[in-house]
Amino acid sequence: MSPTLLVLLTIFAPFVAFGISLVFLMRRPVLAQGVALAGGAVSVLAALLLLAGGPAEPVRHLWFASGNFQLQFGFVFDGLSLAFGAVVAVIAFCIQVYSIGYMHHDPGRTRYFAMLGLFGWSMLGFVYSVDLLQAFIFWELVGLASFFLIGFWYEKPEAIAAAKKAFIMTRVGDVGLFIGVLMILNLTGISDIPALLDAETGLLAHVSGGTLALIMMLLFMGIAGKSAQFPLHTWLPDAMEGPTPVSALLHSATMVAAGVFLFARLHPLFLASEVVVVTVLAVALFTAILSSTIALVERDIKRVLAYSSIGQLGFMLAALAAGSLFAGVLHLILHAVFKALLFLCAGSYIHRFETNDMEEIGRLGARRMRWTTAGLLAGGGALAGIPPLAGFFSKEEVLAAISYAGYTAFWLVALLAAFLTAYYTFRMIFLVTLPARMEQGAKDAAGDSPWVMLVPMAVLTAGAVLGGLMMGPLGGLLGLEVPSHSLISMLPALGAVAVGVGLAWWDFGRARAPRRGFVEALGPLHTLFVNKWYVDDFYRATFGRAVHAVSRLLQKTEEKGLDGGFDNAAISTSRLGGLIARLQNGWVQSYIASVILIVALAGFYLGIR
Amino acid sequence: MDFPILSAILLCPLAAVLVIMLIPAGRDEWVRWVSAVFSAIALALSTVLWFAYDPGAAGLQFTEHIPWVPAVGIDYHMAVDGYGVALIMLNSLVLFTGVLTMWTLKVRVKEYFAFMMLLVVGVYGVFMTQDLFLLFFFYEIAVVPMYPLILIWGSTRKEYGAMKLMLFLLVGSALLFPALLAIYHQAGLGTFSLVELGAHTFERDFQVFVYPFVYLGFGVLAGMFPFHGWSPTGHVAAPTAVSMLHAGVLMKLGAFGVLVVGIRLLPEGALYWAPLFAVLAAVGIIYGGFVALRQNDFKFVIGFSSVSHMGIVLLGLNIGVIGFAGGDASTGQSAFDGAVFQMFAHGVMTALFFSTVGYIYETSHSKMIGDFGGLGSQMPKAVSIFIVAGLCGAGLPGLASFWGELLVFLAALATFPLLGAVVVAGLVLTALYVLRVFNQAFFGPPNPKWEGLPDLRGWALLPRALLVAVLVLFGFFPRAMLDLIGSTTSLLAEVF
Repeated sequence: MSPTLLVLLTIFAPFVAFGISLVFLMRRPVLAQGVALAGGAVSVLAALLLLAGGPAEPVRHLWFASGNFQLQFGFVFDGLSLAFGAVVAVIAFCIQVYSIGYMHHDPGRTRYFAMLGLFGWSMLGFVYSVDLLQAFIFWELVGLASFFLIGFWYEKPEAIAAAKKAFIMTRVGDVGLFIGVLMILNLTGISDIPALLDAETGLLAHVSGGTLALIMMLLFMGIAGKSAQFPLHTWLPDAMEGPTPVSALLHSATMVAAGVFLFARLHPLFLASEVVVVTVLAVALFTAILSSTIALVERDIKRVLAYSSIGQLGFMLAALAAGSLFAGVLHLILHAVFKALLFLCAGSYIHRFETNDMEEIGRLGARRMRWTTAGLLAGGGALAGIPPLAGFFSKEEVLAAISYAGYTAFWLVALLAAFLTAYYTFRMIFLVTLPARMEQGAKDAAGDSPWVMLVPMAVLTAGAVLGGLMMGPLGGLLGLEVPSHSLISMLPALGAVAVGVGLAWWDFGRARAPRRGFVEALGPLHTLFVNKWYVDDFYRATFGRAVHAVSRLLQKTEEKGLDGGFDNAAISTSRLGGLIARLQNGWVQSYIASVILIVALAGFYLGIR
Repeated sequence: MDFPILSAILLCPLAAVLVIMLIPAGRDEWVRWVSAVFSAIALALSTVLWFAYDPGAAGLQFTEHIPWVPAVGIDYHMAVDGYGVALIMLNSLVLFTGVLTMWTLKVRVKEYFAFMMLLVVGVYGVFMTQDLFLLFFFYEIAVVPMYPLILIWGSTRKEYGAMKLMLFLLVGSALLFPALLAIYHQAGLGTFSLVELGAHTFERDFQVFVYPFVYLGFGVLAGMFPFHGWSPTGHVAAPTAVSMLHAGVLMKLGAFGVLVVGIRLLPEGALYWAPLFAVLAAVGIIYGGFVALRQNDFKFVIGFSSVSHMGIVLLGLNIGVIGFAGGDASTGQSAFDGAVFQMFAHGVMTALFFSTVGYIYETSHSKMIGDFGGLGSQMPKAVSIFIVAGLCGAGLPGLASFWGELLVFLAALATFPLLGAVVVAGLVLTALYVLRVFNQAFFGPPNPKWEGLPDLRGWALLPRALLVAVLVLFGFFPRAMLDLIGSTTSLLAEVF
């Protein structure tokens, strides 16, 4: 089959499922589930066939034209799209299967599966987009789909508030992205991605210096919004209000991944501006530290994972900004696998124990859910960077990339973040698997989630364990050489991870552990972390208030000023009419008086001329 | 002579008025069916017109030219270009769905439909006539029936709303009429023909002096800031289908008037004033968004969002003038294409908004956002449809208005980068007020008071589904619109 047909199947199969479910199957959730799965399966198969076919020439079809501005709808089939497209399709399908078990009692299942289809469609459409504007369109649709999924339980006020927050905050970033894209269009007349990347005739041939930096910073605004980087990161932890499989999807291969993917897609353009590179590195690594420190003190298992996503996204962006496409993309893909797994494990616990609190989950006998716990260990180990799990390789590449690029200070910050990551990940693992005491009867409650939930987790577990093996093939696909590192150069990173795990063991794992983190001894810092660095409070106090104040002010202007002003003009006119009407009182005397008055005034006027 | 399709379209509502007046009292069912049949015919003819129009040939087509008052040069001269075709289509869509939306009307049905059809005659006339005098004549026909329609069938301070609307629009006309006569006399051609006047070059000073009268006169109807006050009040007071026509089509009459009378006849005047009016339009975009954020009545939210969205249209027109006059054909093209696309998209979108709010009001007798909450579980279909309209308003891609906004923003950024950036940032504001309505009225815990309200179903779904389909169609296939209007815009470039 031709790549065009395959890519159409990959992208549009979920969309067709979405349409059919929403229009025809509102009252037939089981059928809708089937349709969604069928769509997902077609999508996975086609994406894998595409991947097997290897890179090919892009295809384009004119979408519309207005003036010089032509929009082509089309697809790229380079290594980046093929590899990540396949990852998206596979993970989305795993999550669909898992959802059958997780959502089996929910009355709104049709809507749920339909929205998963919308999500898959928009994300896949984004990944294969050949045109920057087309990519932006799908990017917005990804945001829309996550709005509906985060707010899926729309009767819950927290859920809809979180959905709104996610939409608005990413939109703030998107304004930057949109302006950036439109600026590129205005300055070059090109929005075709391969053409923009062309060194001879692309963006770099048209703009440079300050303008280039401005454009790339605007694009990065959008990326920071989508990939939850400081200062636009606060929507992501709140997005945990959605169903857990949704979090798994949102935090791994879709939504947040879109930002990093866009950065990778336009990689050479970002690297062309030193200012942008340094800014991105600084933002990404600061975000990694900020999110990791908050994760240290979270008790909610999903929130720990959410903050870890923010941090890992920072790692990916830092690697890309440091110049290594390979490290960034590798971490993007492997993180997608093990983070999806971790969320599915968390979902498995939550589904059973109906609590998000890690200590409680541990106390209720999480350990007895052997398969889930095995997944948690594999995923957690990968996240922490334990060799030879997937995350070890990619994190190694990320750190090496930052170090080789010569950013020693940034490298040290990254090491600190790696240490914190290892620490809070194992804090989570120990809290869940080694509780101080188990609830009475916890043993009887043993037994694991149903197989529809376990099978997808098993698939992802295999990925989290064996992911390191795909380094070679990925390098081949991207046309990059896989860097080789000596053991010595790995030591600092390994050391940071080991210290993190060891400290976590000391605080939470060992038999007489105090079960309190070392941060609790840090006083004001601890308060800062618990309050999430006060970012949310700051936004509420400033932007939130400002918007309300301005809208109140303008509303007053409208009522009293503009609109009221016109009302007053009308009322005055009518009063004036009333006054003049008094002259028409039917008394001849007053008529004569007016005539005399007017003649006198006219005479006076003529006289003084 | 070919089939006079334009006259045929114009005759549909006119014939409906006459037939409705002949129907004996008490036969409301007949009145509805007559209106539905005639508006369906008009819609069908508009579709034929859409496909019969040859964008490749550009220019005016389907010309019908009959001298009427030769002494002063007033002719019955009908012809359309791409813009006219698009807007006639819009009018037919809004009319047809509006008639179906008002199917459940109980009060003075006969008079209502007669007035509504009369109003539509005026709208069609403006979009198709090529005679300045007739244009003004039709314009007034379109405006005047609003008064009784709101006064008799309206709600919420309807006397106030009707009077306010009338005063604003008449002040607009008062500015307009002398300007039109001045154009007629200054040209000295002894004709009101827009084609001949368009070929005449007016003195620059004259253009600069007269243009603001034309722009303000028509602009009032387009909801231009700061003369927009009548529009939200009028929306709120008007009955459902009148709000649909009012926001969906009437406001476009204003923008269309600016385009065909102001910009086409007085391009240098337009250029002189464009920066100022562009800034006012941008202020309107942001201002409308902020004020919409504080409204508690569904219809007020939509009313102020219309001020904001029509600001995009007006911004596009002014930017387009600057683009073409400055020799930047591409920017001019995008701006005008975008403005006209946005006119169409906004028309369909607001019609959908009001149609759905009308349904909610009809079943619950409330249109206050605060009275609801969790309505999504109680009437999922109506709410889903409202959400589609809301997302279109928020400029989500996949729905028609994205393209209009995109093109206008593109041109605005090329012309006035800072202003453009501010306007694009307004997208956040739009999302805020749209999502606020969603979260307060449709999501959250359901209000038990509305338990058991019937959802949209059967025939009542038809008009809303049709409008949704149009939004999605043009959202996915913008070419359908741009191919139609693009060549007309190119022709417009020659005016400068």
